[in-house]
Amino acid sequence: MGTEEKQLSERESLELITMMINKAKNAYYETGVSAIMWGSVIAVCALERLAELQFGYRLPFDIYLLTFVAIIPQVYISIKESKERKVKSYDEVYMDYVWLAFGICIFLMIFIVNVTFNAWEPMAEEYQKLTGHPPQYRFQEFIHPLFLLLYGLPTFITGAACKFKPMLWGGIFCWVCCIVALFTPIKIDLLLTAASAVMAWLIPGIVIEKEYRQYKKEQATINV
Amino acid sequence: MFKDLDPILHSQLRLAVMSLLISVKEAEFTFLKEQTNATAGNLSVQIQKLKEAGYIDVIKQFKDNYPQTICKITASGITAFEVYVKNLQSYLSVNK
Repeated sequence: MGTEEKQLSERESLELITMMINKAKNAYYETGVSAIMWGSVIAVCALERLAELQFGYRLPFDIYLLTFVAIIPQVYISIKESKERKVKSYDEVYMDYVWLAFGICIFLMIFIVNVTFNAWEPMAEEYQKLTGHPPQYRFQEFIHPLFLLLYGLPTFITGAACKFKPMLWGGIFCWVCCIVALFTPIKIDLLLTAASAVMAWLIPGIVIEKEYRQYKKEQATINV
Repeated sequence: MFKDLDPILHSQLRLAVMSLLISVKEAEFTFLKEQTNATAGNLSVQIQKLKEAGYIDVIKQFKDNYPQTICKITASGITAFEVYVKNLQSYLSVNK
């Protein structure tokens, strides 16, 4: 397209528009690093907590603090990726908002769960004192379905909006696990949480990362 | 009756730039250069013409101490593009 002011026929114009719109559509690539990281972190946290319950030991710290620590590399990844991008698509902007809203909801949910648990615990103790047996309803049993419900939301939206099936199915998998976890004991809930993290983020992240590497290779070949 | 095609848009490079920008929120100059295979000089001239017509916004800033030019389509640019495509379609449907 080196010639200046080249006049086009109507058909050529329409072909050029189609070609450029397709080029712009294919210009956006995710690296998949964030999905891999969060999938691994959540799976590790859930499996470690499961091991604590299964083998009766306790780490000197709460393993879920790892999710707060993971925010640091996430910020670094986000800044690095946004610096490398030469184009910002509308999809990307909307998805950023969806995941930001998800992050806010997760932290609000942690806060709500803690406040509710602190209010519930003394009542449960009092009940046990009065009746001599623990209450049938255990608050902890219902925490994981709430989180699985949230995990499914941005994953499903991203999968549907970006026409990326691994994430679409990952989101659905989270919701199926959410329903199942309502009727299962905590140990199974933790297993379902780990499985959801792997299905919703880790596996799709690996697929995205593979595609990104392929794209980079192709770009390098073109630029030679 | 046919309306004349917008002369600002009815040129290969300017139309290519507008078609790229209509699909994205914003794009760097280097991205437009890569996708259109145009020379930097020619692309600069055409971007300036689109800017003067009010079809795009051009933001010049620095990124890691290097100058960076970001282009984004304006509301009047979107309208002009839509009118252009509509006119194109009416020409093509008659010539069929």
